[in-house]
Amino acid sequence: MSIEFLKRALLFVVFVLAQALVLGRIHLFHCATPLLYVYFVTMFPRNYPKWGVLTWAFVMGLTVDIFSNTPGLAAASLTAIAAIQPYFSELFVPRDSAETLEPSLVNLGPTKYSYYIVSLVTMYCLLFYTLEMFNFNNMMEWLMCVVGSILITLALIYTFEIAKSKA
Amino acid sequence: MKNLLEFLQRHHHWFLFVLFEALSMALLFQYNSYQGSVWFSTANAIAGSVYEMNASVESFFTQARINEQLTTRNFYQERQLTQLRRLYQEATQKPVDKELEELEKLSQYKLIPAKVVTSELHKNNNLMTINRGSADGVEPGMGVACGRGVVGVTFLCSDHYTVVIPVLNSTSSRISCTIRNRGYFGVLRWYGEEAGYAYVEDIPRHARFKRGEWVETNGYSSIFPAGVLVGQITEVYNSRDGLSYKLKVRLSTDFGILRDVVVISDKSIAERMRLMQAAKDSLKLNVHE
Repeated sequence: MSIEFLKRALLFVVFVLAQALVLGRIHLFHCATPLLYVYFVTMFPRNYPKWGVLTWAFVMGLTVDIFSNTPGLAAASLTAIAAIQPYFSELFVPRDSAETLEPSLVNLGPTKYSYYIVSLVTMYCLLFYTLEMFNFNNMMEWLMCVVGSILITLALIYTFEIAKSKA
Repeated sequence: MKNLLEFLQRHHHWFLFVLFEALSMALLFQYNSYQGSVWFSTANAIAGSVYEMNASVESFFTQARINEQLTTRNFYQERQLTQLRRLYQEATQKPVDKELEELEKLSQYKLIPAKVVTSELHKNNNLMTINRGSADGVEPGMGVACGRGVVGVTFLCSDHYTVVIPVLNSTSSRISCTIRNRGYFGVLRWYGEEAGYAYVEDIPRHARFKRGEWVETNGYSSIFPAGVLVGQITEVYNSRDGLSYKLKVRLSTDFGILRDVVVISDKSIAERMRLMQAAKDSLKLNVHE
């Protein structure tokens, strides 16, 4: 039980509660829902054990699912994001950086961080809504949900990142 | 064998990934048959209790509004109860149509719910501010009551706020009242001691009543309708000149926790006041002539 682990666990609880009690109830224009908990998965540092990322993500997904009555949905999509997250952070985090460098706006710079976060969030929203609807009969609604959620999630993440960089 | 182990070692996270995905998918598709998956929904104890806590927090914040409604409602019913009680008593002895009229009069009062913004307790001349003003139909000289009893009389109105002279104002508050079911009139005064007690003066010597009986407004002041609760008689004294009784009354309104009040707007008051003013004016004219 390191301090690191406890911090992450606390963050976990905060994200789950925020999603269950506040964010999950927002349906802007009947489609855009902030899926902020994906931010939790993007915060793992380089060289964090891959199985660790996967387990955190799976448990996080499952917990969010339990609170939103969608068993398996967020768990499946979030696990997938956790599987590719280490490779993405390898792409964008400089190789000569510290082992425990977290991918963040300050550490990567705006351009690289934007590539990193936008691609991960986009993928997550695509996966999430594809699995949720499971058919493409209603392409328009699907697209609206995906785009809306991506925008609102990114807006929230950037808010937090900017706040963090000012602190 | 060694190669296999090494392969597993190197790619173990992929196996974990496949395992998790399989689990998620199983859940996702199994959920259609609802049985057995209750554990993974809000029906499970932890998620349920978190939502319950959330609901109680939410209800705490909506309580203010509910409180307001209850105050208004309570006031109506308190009034109605008094009227009906009196009506019943009259009916068992001698039925009078006057009481029926009284009951009908209820509808002529418009109640304006308001919130107490600031209030004082510990001065000799306390004032109170409520968050309704002339824009909401409040005028100076209207009665203010709460669900538990009488509060005071409006004094100054701005567009959105009103200063109220509560019972707890030793120089300016005089509310005429009566002992319930006895009919003797008195004036409610307060002398700046305890916030929970006030005095009713000018009760005639021949009046018969007991300690513990209720005092209510008498409806003659044109500010309060009859039957708004004032308090309960706790002590009886002689007045200084010995011509009347002075009653110590435990106020039914708790000014310390007062939040929701109603302003009683009687349409006929304005008319009566105009008439009174006209009468005074004409008297003055006569005097000058």
